[in-house]
Amino acid sequence: MMVDEVCLNEALLAGATEVFETMIFMDIRQSTAQDQEASCESNSQDGSEQHLKGNTFLGSITFTGDMEGCLGICCSISCAKAIAQNMLGMAPTDELNEAEISDAIGEVANMVMGSFKSRVQETVGNLNVSIPTVVKGRSLDASVGEDAGRTVINVNIADQYDAEFSLLYRRENKRES
Amino acid sequence: MAKSIMIVDDSATMRKIIMKTVRAAELDIGETSEAGNGAEALEKLKASAVDIMLCDINMPEMTGPELVKKVRCLPSCAKTKIIMVSTETAQGIVDDVLKSGANGYITKPFTPEKFKEKLAPLLN
Repeated sequence: MMVDEVCLNEALLAGATEVFETMIFMDIRQSTAQDQEASCESNSQDGSEQHLKGNTFLGSITFTGDMEGCLGICCSISCAKAIAQNMLGMAPTDELNEAEISDAIGEVANMVMGSFKSRVQETVGNLNVSIPTVVKGRSLDASVGEDAGRTVINVNIADQYDAEFSLLYRRENKRES
Repeated sequence: MAKSIMIVDDSATMRKIIMKTVRAAELDIGETSEAGNGAEALEKLKASAVDIMLCDINMPEMTGPELVKKVRCLPSCAKTKIIMVSTETAQGIVDDVLKSGANGYITKPFTPEKFKEKLAPLLN
């Protein structure tokens, strides 16, 4: 059975939406071109780190099996903090340390991976998932080799933050006809 | 009578979220405890058994199913109900953890209603 990028893209967005609706309680939608233009303008004006060119957290989780690769969520530090606060039911003024924010982003990657996996299981086959890892820095990007397929979804969270979900994958010749 | 509960997960964030969700499910929960890995959970259970253990599957050093097998060897925990909480949805994995001695399974993402549905029958 052939797996196309549209199918993976839809499953990734649906998985992320489910996690944000049930566990994080923040609205999430695929970004429009206007969102991205507005974000760039806003950042160039106030020098903030709302978008993905400043310091970011990258939460990623690898998988092997009938398809292998890596699923990632990349977002600004302020976005990651808001996600962690919402997950834990905290107020925006409550403080969180970097380890707590990092742990929360790892769990988001883990849960989106779980939701994605359940949606593609029938088409793709079995996936064995690793434990999530989170890194912080500038211009972060995951890679699983030059021959990997890549699907990226830019999202807007709570009409306030930009984030990016990415899926890098390689199927070799498994189950494809 | 209120039941004691232990949450075992390597993520401190997830332990807090599970605790928050269990409380939101309005179940008759009494004493609560946490463990960040299988070894810590075993140590705490040897000192004091609990009525319900909520346990992650994918944890470093000792996996959830490995922990369940060890808990099932503790005579003091013979009546402990074990519910696995994980993102794993593959039927083979679910069957394996139930065979290892777990009493039920909750998939992430979850809601208070899902916890109520799975835990309420065990609390009666």
